[in-house]
Amino acid sequence: MNLWVSCKEASELASRAMDTTLPLSNRLALKLHHSICANCTRFAVQLNVIRRLIKTDEASDTYEATLSPEAKRRIATELQKKLDS
Amino acid sequence: MEALDPRTWLIEHGDYLFRMARRKLGSDAQAEDAVQETLLAALSARDRYAGSAAPRTWLTGILKHKIIDQIRRQGREVEIPRNEDGDEDYEALFKADGHWASPLREWHNPQHEAELAQLRIILLTCTDGLKPMMARVFSLREVIGLDTEEICKELNISSTNCWVLLHRARLFLRECLELNGFSEAAK
Repeated sequence: MNLWVSCKEASELASRAMDTTLPLSNRLALKLHHSICANCTRFAVQLNVIRRLIKTDEASDTYEATLSPEAKRRIATELQKKLDS
Repeated sequence: MEALDPRTWLIEHGDYLFRMARRKLGSDAQAEDAVQETLLAALSARDRYAGSAAPRTWLTGILKHKIIDQIRRQGREVEIPRNEDGDEDYEALFKADGHWASPLREWHNPQHEAELAQLRIILLTCTDGLKPMMARVFSLREVIGLDTEEICKELNISSTNCWVLLHRARLFLRECLELNGFSEAAK
């Protein structure tokens, strides 16, 4: 494979690299392309961001958030309205 | 009966429901709305509450539906070019010479848990917009973690087809996330 690839080809390779180990020639072509192309570098980074968002879906909720007093009052009022109706 | 008094629901389970909603919805205001809708719905349905489940379990079940409703309402817009048949045209994301048709925005690095939660929700609603086969391939790969060979076998498609579907799903989700998540947050 040609070492000089277009953005379209580079985006395909970047996607494929998420799923398998690319052959050396492809890896070189991708590296070379990324060294001169900001858009494709971003694309590759963003694919990893997407993966990270999916992977951490169920993780972490140590922050003990609570309903604010205003929200509690508002909800209590709505419930009372409904009870009275 | 304690279980049937809505005021004790708010006091005893309000924060618990809020935390759960906030984790899924990523915003305080939306989580508050979801809790309110849940308690109001529970009040309407309390005659049908058999008391077989603990009140918290029962309320949590209602909340899940309210969260899904909220997510549905947020429907995402994506600008994938269309061909003359009105189908999504992934080729048109690139010019004839193979360059990107329009530049990609740089994404900031999301740090806070609340922001990550919000982006996750956006991503989730974005996946609703995928064509069924693309959605299937993508979730087998990214959520279940199968490799492409297993996916080909599972869905009985060629490996080339599998790569293409995965790549298009990623192009779609990237566009959708950029448009709905990272453009607003970058302001």
